[in-house]
Amino acid sequence: MANIYEPLDFEFEEPFRISPPPTKKKKKLIGLDDLLVDYEKEQKRLNDKKSKQKKIRKVCDAEQEISQINGDEEMPFWGIQVFGNQEKLPQQVYPEIQSSKLLQSFMKHKINSLVELNIERGENFLQGLLADGWLLHLIYTSGCVEKSIATWTFNLMLYSSKLELMEAACEFWCTILSHKAKADSSSIKIEWLPTYSDLESALQTYGFLLDSTSRHSSDVDMVPADSVAAGPPQNIRSWIKCATFCFQIRNAHIIFSTQEAEDLLVIIISLVLDRQLLGLTKLLSGGMLSAINFFSDEEWLDSCKKVAKSLAYRLPCDINCLRVVESITGVDQRSKQLRSAVAFQFLVTCLDEKVCDAEETLRLLISINVKDKKCDLFKMYIYLSLAENWLSFDTMLKDKAVVRELWGVCLRNCSCGITITDLRSYASNVRSKASYLLQGGTSK
Amino acid sequence: MERRKRVRGDGANRGVEENTMAILDTSGFNNSKISHHLNDDRLAFLEAVRTASLLPDNGSAPTGELICKLVDRKMFDAIFHILKDVDSLDLIIESYQLLVELDKRFPQVYLSKGEHSGSSSPSKVISQLVAVEEAWLPFNLGLDSYNEKGETKNHPRSSMDSSAFHALIQEVGKVAKEMKSEAVEATFLKNMLLLQYLITVLEGDFLPRNSTYQESMNWTLLRESLLNMLLGSRKILYKGLIKDCLFIMCHLSQSIVFSGETSYPENSSGELSDETSSALALALPEVKKSTCTVLKKLLSMIMELDSSRQAADQQGLTTRADGVRTPVVFDPKWKLEIIIQYFQKYIPKSSVQTRRSSATVNIENFDGVLKCLSNRNSTKSIIKKISTEVVQLLLAYAFQAYLAISYEHASEGFSDAMKNDNSDSVGEVCNKVVSAFTCLRQEDPGTEILSVGKEALFTAATILLSKS
Repeated sequence: MANIYEPLDFEFEEPFRISPPPTKKKKKLIGLDDLLVDYEKEQKRLNDKKSKQKKIRKVCDAEQEISQINGDEEMPFWGIQVFGNQEKLPQQVYPEIQSSKLLQSFMKHKINSLVELNIERGENFLQGLLADGWLLHLIYTSGCVEKSIATWTFNLMLYSSKLELMEAACEFWCTILSHKAKADSSSIKIEWLPTYSDLESALQTYGFLLDSTSRHSSDVDMVPADSVAAGPPQNIRSWIKCATFCFQIRNAHIIFSTQEAEDLLVIIISLVLDRQLLGLTKLLSGGMLSAINFFSDEEWLDSCKKVAKSLAYRLPCDINCLRVVESITGVDQRSKQLRSAVAFQFLVTCLDEKVCDAEETLRLLISINVKDKKCDLFKMYIYLSLAENWLSFDTMLKDKAVVRELWGVCLRNCSCGITITDLRSYASNVRSKASYLLQGGTSK
Repeated sequence: MERRKRVRGDGANRGVEENTMAILDTSGFNNSKISHHLNDDRLAFLEAVRTASLLPDNGSAPTGELICKLVDRKMFDAIFHILKDVDSLDLIIESYQLLVELDKRFPQVYLSKGEHSGSSSPSKVISQLVAVEEAWLPFNLGLDSYNEKGETKNHPRSSMDSSAFHALIQEVGKVAKEMKSEAVEATFLKNMLLLQYLITVLEGDFLPRNSTYQESMNWTLLRESLLNMLLGSRKILYKGLIKDCLFIMCHLSQSIVFSGETSYPENSSGELSDETSSALALALPEVKKSTCTVLKKLLSMIMELDSSRQAADQQGLTTRADGVRTPVVFDPKWKLEIIIQYFQKYIPKSSVQTRRSSATVNIENFDGVLKCLSNRNSTKSIIKKISTEVVQLLLAYAFQAYLAISYEHASEGFSDAMKNDNSDSVGEVCNKVVSAFTCLRQEDPGTEILSVGKEALFTAATILLSKS
């Protein structure tokens, strides 16, 4: 019983009471005195409890106040539903594999008396060759991947639900594609290469919801007729890797047009918003980098802008857009440019005004009155973060005096306009972000 | 109340640094509400480090000074601490990613062109090894007095010694063995990523040292490598470490292969935990695979170290303090070598020449083994001692290793003439593989050709067809 009154017990429920061991039978009658003692005991307990609750309430109030003063507003989780239910993955039979040169020519060979391969079980046999790594050795020595083998392995990679085959097929494709990335690309000839629509339709099968035309809405509830489970399947890993290697081959323009590459880059970036793919961040950022390097120097600036616009149009302008911007790693020049462009487009879309120029945008930010009680400080926090990314990754803008000055005004508005005692939600997040950026800016 | 402030100080970097301290100060809180904020803070911290250190343009190779300025030791320590400490998937992934990127951007050891070395012969540019002193390392191998003193008294140092490294490997191995395909756990993922990061660091330290050693034969470079210090530590048993690595690789690759049909995560209660579990279900197979790859890398680094050390031994550069180790074997080259040695035990001595000193030796010996197996008499005597199944298996794997080696040779930029020569010998070997199998069948008519044998035969026959 003593432990009920532990100092840090914030529970409101009745404390758990250990019932006293049943006494063997009451021998005497209950006297009036006993009742009085019981009553007093009970009263004391109730009083104690009341005062304890009061104390607790006080502590809680104080804590809440402190947490508000401290601005400890929880950041909401990012994440949207990127995949709905997946369709049943097509588990086709590949009759053309039986007529592949690889199998056909072997059938006639005299050594088949030892192997006893019959053509009906040809696909099974090939699966063994693929999974045990022989197929790659055969490709190396022959220097050629015939069409039926290419499509067969490609489909296994994207649609097989047998993990072992999926992994082996993915390894196969990544290897042959990476050979095409080398300067001496004549070494392996691939008779069939995937196209954009092959990759796109696989994604549709996985239940991808954000197709290139529609704007994201959170209440999507499309259930394909043939759905089996929530997407995406494990094959999404192979999909990302395969796309990554497709971008890297020499003359990758024979696989993707510039616009298709832009669309794919948009898709890959939007995948980071699916919390289910969180563990695949490394694959996704690898994919982004190789997509970014697909474009020629002439194409890049234009494509970069288009990709940024498309992302800002399709994806929600809330905490998620910060996730998108931060997922672009900025390890090289182009990804810095992209990060800046995406942040800018999101900022413009969030502000919902027809601005296109840096100064105008900053003036608009300055015009927001953070002292106004109605001002949405969470939005302000997002604006600041977006503007920070936009300005610090754009080497041209960073050094422009006007821009720097306006940005400084904007930051001072936020850091001075919000007092330390401001109890509004996210007030301190905005204030400390602004002061942090202000400090960083002046010291440079 | 201090922890959310990232304001003071005289610049972005100082701000970040303060944040670091702030994070470490609050690591004691466990209340769920506070820990949510703690995670927010940690994420904000990681993003701030990324912005401050990775993003500024810097064409030139980083110098020690730059590293000290931009990526403070404390900051590294804090990120590493986060990776070791957290169980939120967001933070695990983010801190791992950041550590790997920082390691790439600010290597603690790198090669620079030897222009500043003042060498009198400018025609021969020897790359100079630069080891950044004071660079933060996740290892604490006890030789660095600076590390031993421990400059941070407020929190436990997060860097690991050799026994902690071995314990991590054992832990991963334990879970890998018990792992059922449906059981997914964030800690397992974290431990694998932690292991991957540590091996990446070992590699970043070892490779430049080893390549400089090849040029300069300066054994001290390798003696001071993290890998050598780690393996030489008395806190661990070298054999046990290697065994545990192989153990993990074995179980992880099995669990990938035998997981069979892709399982879909059950729709259980709680949206968030559901998301996390499907995120884990997608990430685990990927991370298991990359863990295997990284462990393979570790083992081949150990082999490299051993062979460099053998060379140093021969020149009398090593001392008794360097200890003695049994070399490890793991590579197509070594695989072939083992199989050949195994066969040679059962092959009449006279028929195989044993000569070892050059790289082509095992290929020649493979030829010898194949010759024996194509001879009915010697085949008969071999299958008296080992079963035909074993012979088939060994033959198939040796053939596969041979193909891998010959392809490696071909792609290493030999001239066309060499290539032709090489492809001729491939054809010859294929012929012999076929006749060896034929011979096996003749001598043991009841035997079933195993599927791996059939695959080998198919490959050999197809290669022959493409040559004709």
